[in-house]
Amino acid sequence: MKIDQENGNHRKWFSKATILAINLFLIFHIVAITCWCVPFNIPPFPQCRKLVRPYFLWAGLFQAWDMFAPTPWPSNSYVEATVIYKDGSRTTWPFPRMEQLSLTDRYFKERYRKFSEVIQIDENDTLWPDVARHIARLNSTPSNPAKTIILIRWYSVIIPRPDGSYYPEPWDRHVLLGYGVRPEDLQ
Amino acid sequence: MRLALRSLPKAWNRFFFAKQSPLPIALFRIAYGLLIIATLVLLRPDWLAWYGPHSWISLQTMQTVEPGTRINLFTVIPQTDGWINAFFWVFLGSAILLTVGLLTRLNSVIVFICLTSIHQRNLYITHGGDTFLRLAGFFLMFAPAGAALSLDRLLPIWRRRKKGAAEQDDGIQPQRPWAQRMIQIQLSLLYFVAFLTKVKSPLWLNGTALYYVYHLDSLRRFPVPAWLLGATTLKWAGWSAIALEFCLGVLIWVKSLRYYLLALGLLFHLSLEYCLNISLFQWDVLSAYILFIDPADIARAWNGIKLRLTGRRAWE
Repeated sequence: MKIDQENGNHRKWFSKATILAINLFLIFHIVAITCWCVPFNIPPFPQCRKLVRPYFLWAGLFQAWDMFAPTPWPSNSYVEATVIYKDGSRTTWPFPRMEQLSLTDRYFKERYRKFSEVIQIDENDTLWPDVARHIARLNSTPSNPAKTIILIRWYSVIIPRPDGSYYPEPWDRHVLLGYGVRPEDLQ
Repeated sequence: MRLALRSLPKAWNRFFFAKQSPLPIALFRIAYGLLIIATLVLLRPDWLAWYGPHSWISLQTMQTVEPGTRINLFTVIPQTDGWINAFFWVFLGSAILLTVGLLTRLNSVIVFICLTSIHQRNLYITHGGDTFLRLAGFFLMFAPAGAALSLDRLLPIWRRRKKGAAEQDDGIQPQRPWAQRMIQIQLSLLYFVAFLTKVKSPLWLNGTALYYVYHLDSLRRFPVPAWLLGATTLKWAGWSAIALEFCLGVLIWVKSLRYYLLALGLLFHLSLEYCLNISLFQWDVLSAYILFIDPADIARAWNGIKLRLTGRRAWE
């Protein structure tokens, strides 16, 4: 009888502790996630973000919901690479471009659209050597390895017109990187 | 004011802890699992190009650009094609088991860890839909996602029947929905933050933002009628999108408006799916709409389907 009562008390205590732990978990995550993603830079939001940052990065809770905002991508653009081989010949290697793919292929290659957008941004220049190395590996043969990779961004600015009509602007280009391929890059 | 403060804990407890049918979270688990499987199938042809030892972005560069301790199995497993491919098959197997609800809790943990790992391994190819799946996956680990529509629930029932036990099935047991609520909150935050980001943007406020979006060649999927592309129509469409994002972020919690807003949101995402080439994004977000459906309505719809099926079988 006494043991039953003790077990009952123990279970009640455990249930209360569980609810308390869940409540703390909920309050922490609601506050932390809200502070992380709302686009306000007034106290206490930046401080809260700084505080939870290590946990959010570790657990994968970081997030941004800025779909096409604040500014949508302002130009049509793509990246291609000029590959110069050891024998002096050259070829152009284009990233998969969604507008040139079939509907099915677009589903499979959509990640290239995102990736191509990312590497066009100058702040992501740390990624360019890796991209150049990958293109060198894709385009090399043992007899004729790639010697130089030139990453080029092509763009055509979108200019809104009052009547909503659209005329494509001429294409312009911007060299992102010239990379000298080393033998170890092709391993 | 004092009265409101006094009723707050009650409302909080009712919202997070009042037991309800686990049907919505179980249905969401199935949709979530299917979306993870679809994501993996679409990634498969370029799996090694994105995550392999000779990928577009090396693990070392990724760790330099995005430093810090993170859940990332790629930092632990050997960097060989064989191991990276094995990772794919484990991830896919676990996603299938999660979908059918076998060892649901364990598989929800494995799927979350694998999903977070591929995002951390290459953050530059993920879109908002991937992020939403990762966040929903985090809270799904804590949810009673296998309490209904799962092999975890059915196997013991079948075993008992096989043994000829006379005892009746207790039916689907009500569960505390706090983890489900967190996924719902996450979805409403997604819309609300998208609304806030847009109202801070001059391009969205003056109505030209959608002009840019629609004229991006890489994003366009199917042709849209010319009359929908006029300057005035695009302006109104942009403003309507902002208004709808506000409604789905805030007013979704008003019960009497919920189904109307879900219908509008469904229409909105389907039209985006038609116009824009963003693989699976719309479906990733739409999957969480299930969580806003009243469990009684899901049960009613399920019983209707069952009745129709059994009726047809009896007739045959």
